[in-house]
Amino acid sequence: MSDLQIKREYSDSPAVDFSHAREMKPYLAEPKAMYVGCPGKHGYLNLGFELDSEGKSILRHLDRRAPLIVQQELYFDEKMPDMPCVYILSSGGPNVDGDRYRQDITVRKGAKAWVSTGAATKLASMKYNYSGMVQNITLEEDAYLEYLPEPIIPHARTRFICDTTLTVHPSATVVYSEIYMGGRKYYNGGELFRFDILSVCSHGHRPDGEELFREKFIISPDRASLRDVGVMGGYDVFANVIVMLPPDKMEKVYAATTPFIDREKRLAAGITHLPGGAGLLFKVLGMEPGPVKAVVREFCSSVRMAVKGVPLPEEFPWR
Amino acid sequence: MDQRIIQLSHLIQFSDATFPVGTFSFSNGLETASYEKTVHDAASLEQYARAAARQAAFSDGVAALIAHRAAASGDYEALTRIDRQLMLFKMNDEARLMLRRMGKKLAELGVRLFPEAAMLSRWLEAINKEETPGSYPVAQGIVFQLAELTEKDLYASSQYGVINMILGAALRCVRVSHYDTQEILFRLASEIPDLYAEAREMTFDDMNCFVPEMDILASLHEKGQMRMFMS
Repeated sequence: MSDLQIKREYSDSPAVDFSHAREMKPYLAEPKAMYVGCPGKHGYLNLGFELDSEGKSILRHLDRRAPLIVQQELYFDEKMPDMPCVYILSSGGPNVDGDRYRQDITVRKGAKAWVSTGAATKLASMKYNYSGMVQNITLEEDAYLEYLPEPIIPHARTRFICDTTLTVHPSATVVYSEIYMGGRKYYNGGELFRFDILSVCSHGHRPDGEELFREKFIISPDRASLRDVGVMGGYDVFANVIVMLPPDKMEKVYAATTPFIDREKRLAAGITHLPGGAGLLFKVLGMEPGPVKAVVREFCSSVRMAVKGVPLPEEFPWR
Repeated sequence: MDQRIIQLSHLIQFSDATFPVGTFSFSNGLETASYEKTVHDAASLEQYARAAARQAAFSDGVAALIAHRAAASGDYEALTRIDRQLMLFKMNDEARLMLRRMGKKLAELGVRLFPEAAMLSRWLEAINKEETPGSYPVAQGIVFQLAELTEKDLYASSQYGVINMILGAALRCVRVSHYDTQEILFRLASEIPDLYAEAREMTFDDMNCFVPEMDILASLHEKGQMRMFMS
């Protein structure tokens, strides 16, 4: 049976369109296994947090399509027991060739939320196409969101593109963190920086549409050495944390954060102001995900301290 | 009169390290990199200069090309748009300061070199009135257009400027010789054509850069006490 005779069904998830992305043009072949956009590999998640009639933050709205799964909110944060916490899971295991994902997270006026992933996101080797994700994160007045997913592990020859829009009211606070590992460091004698491409763009806006900042990195180890001094240097893990928050809180966090290069632990971190008075940008480099995560959590804790007056709880021993 | 000889002389003038736009006061993080021993010899300096060149290649370099085209077609709105967009893309205070200072100096100098150019005087006025950030790559685009220099001239000069700024700073804070820095400059020049081939097709949406170690060094400088250079 030829391709034309196969009746193709498409997922009803919102379209994830990266046709404008010049850097993905070499990776547009149709995967031989499951086609791009078919049900099961076009995930969708729509999380809406808001205050209920008693003023408690709840996950009011939840819509999802496989392979993305969110079950229900839990209240396990000992320092903020009234904050709904959600794990995003994927029934598909790793992101595979031709996957598309869309994640919309909205935190309404005065509400708060914590979102993470259940485990590291693995990006599998790809041969024909790429894996793409669009995220829309929206915070209304005085809303608060900590988005601290587990690290992303790009396998050899993977391709991944991610576009994140942060639309944040000037009174709201969002911590948006991403941790990228160089690869499966200990697999098969070491698989660091062997992926085809990672293209990651995050941009911040006000609700009226005002653009505040845009950060984009396109990393393709075959085209330029990541080991150059100034790029990854000798480090294997990279974290990028965007914080958008009100100006008075921003200066508190900036003053409380000391950039460092620790040659013994091979760990380094830096902080700077985003353009447009939008907030702060915190970057960490290290050798293993554990210490990098710890530095990211410590930084997030100082944001929480400045905004909510409490620190992050201790991390669960199994995380 | 051989117009090309005049153009080339202007190209050399605009790219010269003594062209008074303040290049010498910035090190692009090298001062901290040297203090932290991240850059300590010719080999590590070359990598650092290459990282800085690539970082500029797909951001400042792209903005300069877009500004050059906008100046050619007299599109003032496009100049202000790319100027604002480039600032949205600059992730640290010292980098934004550097681009604005150098951009203003070049605009001031430009109106003297091209007193008849209405667009350039309008540009300087907009900077003075704080209507536009007035970044260096945009001023470069306008001035190179006025001097009838090509896009390739502009791109080469932009890359040369970034690399030479770092190498010039290196002579003052890294243990390297003039021979080392000239060899590095000579070698890195051969990498510019590939960067240009990509950059010329790019728009604001395609601008990208990935230099986390440089970003962390810049942050240490921003919060630190070292002040031989302003970045």
